[in-house]
Amino acid sequence: MMMAKDSGGILKWMAEYDRRYVYLVLFLVMVGPLLRPIGMPISVSPDTVQYYNVLQQVQPGDKVFFTLNTEFSGYNEIQSGIIATMRVLVEKHARIAFGVAHVEATVIPELIVKAVQAEMTANDYQYGRDYIILGYIFPNEAAVAAGAQDFHGVVTQDWLGRPIAGTFLDEIDDWEDWDLIADFTTGIATSFLINHYALRGTPMIMNCIGIMIASEKPYVDSGVLLGLLQSMRGGAELEFLIGRPGPGLTAMDGFSFGHYALIIFILIGNVGYFGYTRQQQMRVDREAK
Amino acid sequence: MVDFIEISVVAVGTFLAMSMFSTLYGKSSPLYALAEESYIGFATGLTIIWNIDYIWKTGIVNIMAGDWVLLFSILLGAMMLMRVHPKYGYVARLPIAIVLGAQFGLSLRTIIFTGFIQQISATIVPLFTGGTQTLIYNWTIVICVIFMLTFFFYTIEMKGALGMSARFGEYLLYIAFGAVFAQTFMGRLGLVIGFLQSYTIPDWKTPYLLASMALVLALIMYMDRAGLLEKLTPEE
Repeated sequence: MMMAKDSGGILKWMAEYDRRYVYLVLFLVMVGPLLRPIGMPISVSPDTVQYYNVLQQVQPGDKVFFTLNTEFSGYNEIQSGIIATMRVLVEKHARIAFGVAHVEATVIPELIVKAVQAEMTANDYQYGRDYIILGYIFPNEAAVAAGAQDFHGVVTQDWLGRPIAGTFLDEIDDWEDWDLIADFTTGIATSFLINHYALRGTPMIMNCIGIMIASEKPYVDSGVLLGLLQSMRGGAELEFLIGRPGPGLTAMDGFSFGHYALIIFILIGNVGYFGYTRQQQMRVDREAK
Repeated sequence: MVDFIEISVVAVGTFLAMSMFSTLYGKSSPLYALAEESYIGFATGLTIIWNIDYIWKTGIVNIMAGDWVLLFSILLGAMMLMRVHPKYGYVARLPIAIVLGAQFGLSLRTIIFTGFIQQISATIVPLFTGGTQTLIYNWTIVICVIFMLTFFFYTIEMKGALGMSARFGEYLLYIAFGAVFAQTFMGRLGLVIGFLQSYTIPDWKTPYLLASMALVLALIMYMDRAGLLEKLTPEE
């Protein structure tokens, strides 16, 4: 896109600088605040308040399907929302079943349980009676659909091969028996859960990664989903609402600086491009005269 | 007290992760190739193991419990594997046809509601009742939907009021693209920050992260200067 002949200068540099500078600067502005958090203020969006209000309606003994539709990389983005949600559910004495839709996520429930171990111990949570890890149970839509109609027809053991008979899951037969689905997703089996659970009437909330927000928000507007927690930012807002700072709030400084850096790079690139192009055009016009 | 295993996991993890990031250097790199191949091997092994486990738990255990119908599923699954046989590969077409048919049936029944009818009904909102903010939102939704839909009229000449509406719809689309781009950037930033957090919390992990960053950058720059980057990178 650049003119053939040029004499350099700051505008040329601004238009053509090495993109590796962008990576380097972004990396630095994110790592710095992670190591030395500043604690910049954040606001809470109405979507997070809506999600929080749904969580507040959970009653002791409610059966919550805690579904992890994420790879390990995606978990890093939404872990703040996952852990904050789990904290609320444990404090509400909900009974929680972890289900997983990606093989990489099979170890994530253990990490979550470890992260909220203090709350679980304080609330006397016991495996089987109050929570259970089912592991990889959603390989495809057929499995999700079958589980919605006959849960014990497709899930008979937990992730370590122990029978689920005798646990609180004895009370689950089909989609109607779940009081809430809390879905944490990068998009793997979420549409299946929406189609075979939420659409039938199972209350469902979601914490999705950033690139999914635009595609999932219409489900909230149409009432299929009861709440949507948006990316790590939503997780930070939820941590703020429940008064339990965690990885989300810690990350917000880096998040903000990353966005500032991007805006600055966009400005530099555009000023450089248009300025340099105009400069070259003026030179061509001058030479033509 | 952090044990040796945990330290090893963090040290290897940070080194491989930084090796993956070395692709940002803009040149082929043996470190990137090492990390990429390691990930592919790991992910393939994990996928095979957990899917065998799933077949065991959902299929074999239930068959042993007397659910003989599942034998049919196992048979269909075995037929699917025939795809690799050059002579009897056609046998796999039957289970594929069944899967496709079932998938169509499962998704069509529901997507009509979630992706179509409920989305349309969400657009039909009250325009004259409710608070000021609600009214602004509702009018915005309705007007934007109308403008954008006119942009997608392909069988009619775009002129006059229709042309203006389509043009405005086009601009709205650009605005929407900008919002989606910003959300995408936020998401990508979230992924990177989330990754960095997994190696900065708790504090003892941070030196391994910083050391890996420095080591990988130094190695890449050295190999670049010595002309070793492409030489040592395996071909695809």
